[in-house]
Amino acid sequence: MDLGTLGAGLGAGITVLGAGLGIGRLAAAALEALARQPEVAGDARTTMIIAAALIEGVALFSCVICMLLVVMK
Amino acid sequence: MAGNNIYYNQSTEHGNNPSPTTNQVQANQHVVNSAHGHGQLAPGDVFPTLLSSLGNHRHISFFNADISELPVIIYDSKVGFHTYASSSSMVNQKLFTMHQDAYGHFHPPIRRASDNQPVSMDLSVTSLVVFEWIAIIVVLFLFGWVGRKYKKNPTKAPSGFQNALEFLVVFLRNDIVYPNVGSVKSAKTLLPYFIGLFCFIFTCNLIGLIPGGHTATGALAVTGALAIIAYFVINITAIKEAGIGNWLKHLLGGAPIWLCPIMIPIEIISMFVKPFALTIRLFANMTAGHVVLLSLIGLIFFFKLSNGMGVGLAITPISVGFSIFMYLLELLVALLQAYIFTTLTAVFVGLAIGEHAHEEHAH
Repeated sequence: MDLGTLGAGLGAGITVLGAGLGIGRLAAAALEALARQPEVAGDARTTMIIAAALIEGVALFSCVICMLLVVMK
Repeated sequence: MAGNNIYYNQSTEHGNNPSPTTNQVQANQHVVNSAHGHGQLAPGDVFPTLLSSLGNHRHISFFNADISELPVIIYDSKVGFHTYASSSSMVNQKLFTMHQDAYGHFHPPIRRASDNQPVSMDLSVTSLVVFEWIAIIVVLFLFGWVGRKYKKNPTKAPSGFQNALEFLVVFLRNDIVYPNVGSVKSAKTLLPYFIGLFCFIFTCNLIGLIPGGHTATGALAVTGALAIIAYFVINITAIKEAGIGNWLKHLLGGAPIWLCPIMIPIEIISMFVKPFALTIRLFANMTAGHVVLLSLIGLIFFFKLSNGMGVGLAITPISVGFSIFMYLLELLVALLQAYIFTTLTAVFVGLAIGEHAHEEHAH
């Protein structure tokens, strides 16, 4: 196994760490907002999904880079 | 590779090499390139073989049965414009060449026979294009059918599938397009686009989950095309809504004029990053699920080939269990990604319009 593959694996792991932390914090904040003000449920959900999609998008960028490291060596 | 001996003895029965020992590497290549491993594989080749079924193919197949080869359309600066009914008829005409693997499947790039250079443009119909057409036909059929029901009985309450589609359209209108786009006039104009976008992406995603189907949205070309359309929709709506002058002013991002050397490049980059992010998000989400699913199924074959039948059988329930879980997750992702692509496009349209309206107030 070469260093590129190792780097790709580590990179995917670190990406997941960051994305998980980000989306976890986001969900926690949204739940808190929902618990305090149940009447904004719809708005909070939409905003949360959009923000989660943006975080996920960045995470997927790096996953694609990791995949390229393995595929295109 | 440790397992060379295991499979090339059998794989040569597909190839035309009389002496396998001298052509070992070539035989390897044939089996790895093929999407359908009829022969026995080395454990290390299980995953590449499975994953090769994800890409774009020059033939339509249902599981292992090849149904038909697809037409080839080539434009080349030297030889000109050519169309062929199939890859094999193209190769038979001897004007272009294409790599053919041991199972008779063709693999790009197409090359000129005269100087062996790749052709300038390969516009061929590929398997993903066919599955896009299937998705388009499904959407048109469903909406045409339901639309005819409304035309026949405009006052009757909707029933059956009509209810489902009406719920979908009303949801898209009231929860995605109108609140996010902001301007009612533009929202009304753009509503058919958003409904079409959502239904097309959702149908493509779902067709990929039917066994034997392919996910057209799992290709960068398809998601890229969708994002380019979104890019034009966003900017043309913004220009129509606010005028070309305000649209150009928007490039300043509301900053003072002396900041323009920094602001204009940033705003122009951000204009292109939005559709680029849309492209990658949809592509990566649809591909990642399939890669995980195929890897989980591949584990069965990997363990069978490397550790014997018993271990393969033992791993099967675990593998299938995880696969079912992933499959259900993918059903959710198929809906969620269609929703996110539509919502984000609507949000971007709203942002583009909203900022102009804001600037109009400022002046």
